[in-house]
Amino acid sequence: MNKENTYYWQKVVGDRPISMDLRDIREAVSEGFESESPNYKQKLVYNLLETIRNNDQKEFFYILLKAINKPKKDYTRLLEQLNKNYDVMPEEAFVNFAYTVVIGIMATYDGGEKNE
Amino acid sequence: MSAVGQEETQHQIDFTGNWFIDIGILGFINLMEDVYGWDLEELRNRIKNEPEKVYYGYFPFAYLYKWCSDKNENVDKELVSLLAINLEKSVLQNQTEALLNYVWFKYICKLFTNLWVENKLKIIHEKDMYDKKNKLKKQFNYTNSQKYLQLIREREKIIDELQKNHLEEIKEILKNKKLNEIGYDEIKCLINIDLNNISYPTIPDKVKELIAKIKETHSDIENFLKEEWNKIIQTENIDKKDSHFYRLPIDSGFYKNFLFFNNSAGNLEQKQSFHHMICSNFDKEEVLDRIDKTINKFLPSESEFTNILYTKLSTTIFKNQYGYIFVYLICFTYGLENYKSLGYVVFYSNDLVFTYLVNKKLKSYKEKIKLSTDPNKIFKVTWEQIIDLLVEYKSKWSLENMYIISYQRLNNQSQEGVKYIGIHKLQASILLDDKIREALNTRIQWKSANEGGGKCWLLEEFIKGKTLYPIILNHINLALTGDDHFNWAPCLYGLLAHSELQTRQCEADWAPCLYGLLAHSELQTRQCEADWAPCLYGLLVDAHIADFRGKNKTLFSDNFFDNYRALVKEIKEEVSITTFSSSLISKISDDVDTRKRVARDLYSALCGKDKNMFLNILLKNVNENKGLSSNSNFYNWILEKIIANDTSFEMYGLILVMNLLSEGKK
Repeated sequence: MNKENTYYWQKVVGDRPISMDLRDIREAVSEGFESESPNYKQKLVYNLLETIRNNDQKEFFYILLKAINKPKKDYTRLLEQLNKNYDVMPEEAFVNFAYTVVIGIMATYDGGEKNE
Repeated sequence: MSAVGQEETQHQIDFTGNWFIDIGILGFINLMEDVYGWDLEELRNRIKNEPEKVYYGYFPFAYLYKWCSDKNENVDKELVSLLAINLEKSVLQNQTEALLNYVWFKYICKLFTNLWVENKLKIIHEKDMYDKKNKLKKQFNYTNSQKYLQLIREREKIIDELQKNHLEEIKEILKNKKLNEIGYDEIKCLINIDLNNISYPTIPDKVKELIAKIKETHSDIENFLKEEWNKIIQTENIDKKDSHFYRLPIDSGFYKNFLFFNNSAGNLEQKQSFHHMICSNFDKEEVLDRIDKTINKFLPSESEFTNILYTKLSTTIFKNQYGYIFVYLICFTYGLENYKSLGYVVFYSNDLVFTYLVNKKLKSYKEKIKLSTDPNKIFKVTWEQIIDLLVEYKSKWSLENMYIISYQRLNNQSQEGVKYIGIHKLQASILLDDKIREALNTRIQWKSANEGGGKCWLLEEFIKGKTLYPIILNHINLALTGDDHFNWAPCLYGLLAHSELQTRQCEADWAPCLYGLLAHSELQTRQCEADWAPCLYGLLVDAHIADFRGKNKTLFSDNFFDNYRALVKEIKEEVSITTFSSSLISKISDDVDTRKRVARDLYSALCGKDKNMFLNILLKNVNENKGLSSNSNFYNWILEKIIANDTSFEMYGLILVMNLLSEGKK
């Protein structure tokens, strides 16, 4: 992935500039949502897309965290990524992050053609 | 520089680095080749061995010979070979004035015989020969003008009689009902008519008689003038006061009123001016001491030069370096070749031989191009020739330092369509690749019929260093608004033919379209072939250049010295990956209207440069199709090319729109 295009920003709490590896995030999301029902995921994606369109970061993370708040499911990798990246981001960084999450969920729909 | 060295430089013919002088040099070479058939090597040899003969003998004749041929005058072609034979033998070497004198009277004046005679024959009424003060105009005032006047008077008398009493019959003969006055053109027609012809049985004998008389007097004037003109050719001399009568009837829109083109210069003055011009004699001709709009319409006039407060741009410095500077400058127009759809064009690089060869090759193809109805052919042929020559000449350097200079019309009053296009090293490196160049070397429509239906030559915009994205965006918009000119299905054929994408996977997807294409007429296919590939290549080239510039802030990076090879390779790889991955978008819906609606929504987001909106619309629609959503080729491509890409996501986005539209026509 193109490192040059990655957005850097200063975390609100903390002093190190941080960046995101979108491919890692996508994989972590896919791994976490793998076993969920497709219709549920499809609905979730619509809700998330709505919040991204309005650039509503608070609502986006609220819906996402609510979705993964399931002790029986293994969201360890995704939680690690969120722990690393969760922040009030610049709009451009948020858009990239949020759509990566959406793509990650969409990638796990049943009946997908796996050409790889 | 030593005196000898300087002299040698003066006699060498080579480019100077000043493009307007260099185009003049090229024009000079073209002129000599056109008239005498000498190629560059022969011209160089002749200049080396006998420069005076070339500049004072061969050149003046060639210049005026070309002027005559361009005016479609009937030129005596034998004069060229005759001059070549006689000058070869001539011992007038080093006697510049004698050389010019000899060529001027024996050949140039002879060349102008018909033109000069006709010019004098055109005077119908004696009153036209006098000025407002009732004084004989200087171009008619000469030693034997009474005889000339008398002959004109005789003819005028007969014409007047015809005009007054027999205008109706003349109208009938000439089949011109609107005729009011008998002029020179009518006289010419009457002279050529055979009155005994059965088609004029009703013409009275009196009219026939008058016409016969006109023929006679007209012929008398013609013979008289020819005799007078031949006298000066024989004697190689003109009396000073007769100089204006014998003025060569030459004029030029480009060099308006310049020296010998000026109406106030008589024959002797014209000859003298020619001599002053060749040897850059500033003392005698003030106009030669400056380089400005007078000599080249691309330059500002002397007072408009921005450095005028410091110094005047004098020709003196050039004269020391290049002996015959004005010979070159005046040949400027012959450096450019007229191509129907492009106007006057020259491909210019700093290397004389290369420039000469490129332009010569193009000229030889000009005739072939003329026969073709395809307007794109000129561009294709042009670039094919240049690149072929580059490979032959082993000079990438030349392309990197090449300029295209063109204009539609250039004279004192107006400068129309003047373009001066330089090719950057980055663009030159990309152009050297056959596939990319072929794809971009075409014109696509980017304005609707209401706006004039303008077409844009992608390659031209590319070498200008402009981004192709806005043009292609407009092109796609025309397709979206349902312009009937667009038929995208056949374009896929162009894509397959042009791009390297011929994998089985892809063929399976595109095959239905290909078969659909076969049902279309061949003409349609040809028209549309050009549209897809240029857009795809144009956008990808744009995207990679944008990325590349983002990464490389300094000009002289490693890439610069590697001729941007990596970049070219990346673009070509990208074409195959993107063509396949982006084509998957067509699975979004089977319904043509739905795809078109999505395309329109995505297009609007692209116009607003709103990445968020674009992705939102895209993913919302893709989300409806679970199969497409989980296609790893598709989502990885979207992730990498659009989500993670902030510099060139628009280009990739537009490729998606193109795919939605192309499949829409399936």
